[in-house]
Amino acid sequence: MSHTQQSNSGNWLDANGGVFIAGIGLHPYQFPTETPYTELGLTAVRAALADSGLAWDRVQSAHVGTTSIGMAAGRVMLRHLGSTGLAVTQVENASASGSFAFRQACMEVATGMSNVVLAVGVDKHGDGRRAANKDGLERLSETATIPAAKFAMMARTYLRERGASVEEMANAAVKNHGNAARNPFAQFRKPRTLEQVLASPRVVGDLTVQQCCPRGEGAAAVMVVSGNAIRHLGLDARRCVRVKASVAGSERPEMQYGDSAVELVRTSAQAAFDQAGIAPKELDLLELHDAFSVEELLYSEAIGVCEPGEGARYLARGDSQIGGRCAINASGGLIGMGHPLGPTGIGQLAEITRQLRGEADGRQHPNARWGMAHMIGLGSVSVAHVLSASA
Amino acid sequence: MKPLQPTLYELADDGHSLNFFFAQCSACGGLSFPANAPGCMHCGEPLSQATRITRPGGGELLEFVTLHVPLLPGMAAPSIAGDIRIAPGIVEEGVMAVADESALKHGMAVRAVAEVKPEEGVYACRFVPVNEGAAQ
Ligand SMILES: [Zn+2]
Repeated sequence: MSHTQQSNSGNWLDANGGVFIAGIGLHPYQFPTETPYTELGLTAVRAALADSGLAWDRVQSAHVGTTSIGMAAGRVMLRHLGSTGLAVTQVENASASGSFAFRQACMEVATGMSNVVLAVGVDKHGDGRRAANKDGLERLSETATIPAAKFAMMARTYLRERGASVEEMANAAVKNHGNAARNPFAQFRKPRTLEQVLASPRVVGDLTVQQCCPRGEGAAAVMVVSGNAIRHLGLDARRCVRVKASVAGSERPEMQYGDSAVELVRTSAQAAFDQAGIAPKELDLLELHDAFSVEELLYSEAIGVCEPGEGARYLARGDSQIGGRCAINASGGLIGMGHPLGPTGIGQLAEITRQLRGEADGRQHPNARWGMAHMIGLGSVSVAHVLSASA
Repeated sequence: MKPLQPTLYELADDGHSLNFFFAQCSACGGLSFPANAPGCMHCGEPLSQATRITRPGGGELLEFVTLHVPLLPGMAAPSIAGDIRIAPGIVEEGVMAVADESALKHGMAVRAVAEVKPEEGVYACRFVPVNEGAAQ
């Protein structure tokens, strides 16, 4: 039995009265500036505190997801809110750093170790130094660790095997730029036509620059609380969103060429659906790792919101639009909202929380009950969370 | 003239093709690449008892793509990268030494050849279609 799968002993996230997101806050994602990371992060944390109605001195522990700021970023920032003595932990897991900071917060609350935990992602555009370049092993090509090259090859294979067109793939970016234009925290705020996406400069293979996520900076924060704390602290239960699944894994050897990343997404999503007790087609919202347009098509199939081979048609039918069957990347996704790394996964959770509360003004998906945030990170690692609206 | 990546390959007897170095696991018999990997990629055994195997470099071209802009400092662009199955269960990304993508087909056999960089006194690994490579 895989360690990513659940035993039959129940959902660990139901302990301590359940695990909830009580507040969200963001600093807009943006192109690199001279703004110190502390200012980005504190903006998000203060907004999340205000949104939840929690005072800072109630927060018992903080998990800080970041990749590029450097050692010990957390207290340098958080001391400006007051040196309360809370536990502070830094979490790095590439693109999934924020998602894993959130998972740590969920585990801490579910055990009862804490009842009020901050998960915050904050990042500046860094030098991209990676452990993969320090493993002491040479590579035949210096391009071997460039994600854009890997995903451009996956795109080629996908388009050939599915009989899909470059235009159908690029439409994922059109949709996500359109969603981002309606998100005040997004890095890109302009709708793009298919013609514009296709005419933007080519980067690798069939991927043009508007089909690739930008690099940048920003911050996102969520307050994670126990169900018991909601009652004791008198929080607004109707605005609390419940965490029903949290699953993590890493890549296995590929069975056929190019399938290891997709299999990683498939198995982690399936385990999360099992834990939450829902089927993939019950999802109303899905935020996924669309660093490159092809990923949205691949992962919407792998996660199971549509049938295998249907990704491009699902998009073309409008099923993944806001108001469609399952709104994919209503935030604008990594392509539109941006991908500052540390914040990205927490930004996904903030978007789903906003949508499940019915507070996503201007881009609200109707009757939203269930959402999944799915993230992968270099290496490769995966993490999936399922959230449900309050009953 | 020295190899740019001495742990991966050496010049073959023909003075142009490259031979690749693999480690053959003493436990499962599988090949690992590079040969100095600290564990067998199939079974996880430390490769301290492994046999070093030298084989002509090449394999099946599984996919390829043009890098239109330099994605790394100093990288030549445009250039073509390909995924090549260089041994059972081992896929590595390589640089394709062809003028453009029209010379390539997915599934074709490719082989590794030396691209000499005289100013640096080294040769690097490039892949060419098996048939064209012989003509160079
Ligand atoms: Zn072995």
